[in-house]
Amino acid sequence: MKLVDIANHVVAHAVRLARVDVVSAYPITPQTQVIEEISRLIDEGLMDCEYIPVESEHSAMAALIGAAATGVRAFSATSAHGLAYMHELLHWAAGIRLPMVMVNVNRAMGPGWNIWCDHQDSIAQRDTGWVQLYCASHQEIADTVIQAFRISEDPRVILPVMVNYDAFFLSHSYMQVDLPEQEDVDRFLPPFRTSWKLDLEHPLTHGSVIYPDDYEEVRFSMQQAQDNAREVIRVAAEEYREIIGRYHGDLLDRHLVNDADHLIVAMGSIASESRVAVDQLREKGYPVGLARVRSFRPFPVEEIAALLKGKKTVVVLDKDVSFGIGGALYTEVKSSAYGKSQAQIYNFITGLGGRDVTYKVIAKATEEAIKGKLRKPINWPTLRLNEHHLISVEGMVKKR
Amino acid sequence: MVEIRFHGLGGQGAVTLIRLLALAGDKAGWYVQAAPFFGAERRGAPVKAYIRFDEQPIFKVSYIYEPDMLVVMSDTLVDLAIEEGAKENTIMLVNDDPDKARKAYARLPYEVHVVDATSIALDLDLEVEGMPAVNIPIYGAISYVSNLVSLEIITEVIRETVTGARQEKSMEAARRGFTSVKQIKSQGKVTAGRD
Repeated sequence: MKLVDIANHVVAHAVRLARVDVVSAYPITPQTQVIEEISRLIDEGLMDCEYIPVESEHSAMAALIGAAATGVRAFSATSAHGLAYMHELLHWAAGIRLPMVMVNVNRAMGPGWNIWCDHQDSIAQRDTGWVQLYCASHQEIADTVIQAFRISEDPRVILPVMVNYDAFFLSHSYMQVDLPEQEDVDRFLPPFRTSWKLDLEHPLTHGSVIYPDDYEEVRFSMQQAQDNAREVIRVAAEEYREIIGRYHGDLLDRHLVNDADHLIVAMGSIASESRVAVDQLREKGYPVGLARVRSFRPFPVEEIAALLKGKKTVVVLDKDVSFGIGGALYTEVKSSAYGKSQAQIYNFITGLGGRDVTYKVIAKATEEAIKGKLRKPINWPTLRLNEHHLISVEGMVKKR
Repeated sequence: MVEIRFHGLGGQGAVTLIRLLALAGDKAGWYVQAAPFFGAERRGAPVKAYIRFDEQPIFKVSYIYEPDMLVVMSDTLVDLAIEEGAKENTIMLVNDDPDKARKAYARLPYEVHVVDATSIALDLDLEVEGMPAVNIPIYGAISYVSNLVSLEIITEVIRETVTGARQEKSMEAARRGFTSVKQIKSQGKVTAGRD
């Protein structure tokens, strides 16, 4: 079925096609339309699903953990402060090894209060054990939500999966989408399966105290599951292509990388904008390619190392800051390339709190990096400090 | 790629307009991308939106600073709209009274088209919560000025998306917008001669 709609509504249709049994969520801008549309689909009898309204995101995730623990397919959606409010429960869902899928509409963290896009919210949840996928188009969001259930429920993984996409740039924009047929989705996505569930016939306790004798082993199994997820993500993308006929990449989406001397690495819609920058730089004669990271957790360590081998310049775009070191994607790319690549690796921290980043800005900054004009590895190409910002910095110093 | 930026007032229906245009563009065989610029939306406050049409899949997601077409839904927003960015050959479409507009916009270095969408909406009693629904006559005017989507296609979109008594009125409003839009100025100089 083809439609022109906002990404938030497209997600609801993907959730319907995935035959989700339970949805629990709390509305937050810019995610609200996801759950409004799901509510509508349930209300109109187009979706056979239990919707649990709750009073907070903390409760939404608690309800989802309860639902998934009874052995049903569960879904939620959130953003920014909602995701932050779930933080403790995110550890619980991953730690007791429950498959479930949640979309997070990437929004900046306050203060200052800001409803617009950056990746700080999901990056801050990096180490909870969740698989983290990032999308760059409405079509990819629809296809990835469906793939996410299969990845999450795969016996080699059994971890919750977070599908991320950018606030407003994607969430509220209208684009064309081709939704797969139900029978094809059913062929791709088998009925829900899990490694354990709560069952009155066979009572068990799960996720209670674990003494030092066993705790490390539990954490090791989560790391193994994340490692296993790499192959599961690859196979899911391949089989989706075979059955449904669309492919957005495996852990990476590669554009003109093979003959490239220079690479841009990015995630989400800024990677889509970067494609335009790459094409413009190519026209100017620079052999530049683009590696769009689809899976941030598990991170494509080997793929990045292989791609960076022999490259001269790499620029990593981050819509987030790991304060005190730099962009989170940048540090992962550098770590993956350690000992494998001689490339100069630069970081552009940009597009925070909805700041617009055009292909022109990306192309210009990349050209400067290629020409060796950047003095520092970490750069803020869209920063425009004015006297008010400087006064506020100086003022804070004076007060002390 | 054709890029259009919209400036309107909260309540005028800019978001509905870009959605209807995206549906029409899809029917006409274009790749489309349409989005509102989200900010502090309040009734009566300035709002912005945009749409892109292309023959290729669209990868750009950034804002539009050099629109091919600038649609100004209220005459109070003309200067603000231009300040937000235009290029030499930007075509402007303004909701205004053509007689008044001919003098008012002589100073602008752009090709300017005018449609009196407010009068059309008031005449047809086409209102949304007490405000004239100027978006529908402008929908028709965009079809005429841009040639991106035909009047037949936009009429079909209205038939499919608007229900009840408003459907016929909306189709008529779009038709009147299409037929009454006037070019009052070509690029760089005041147009002499006929309307």
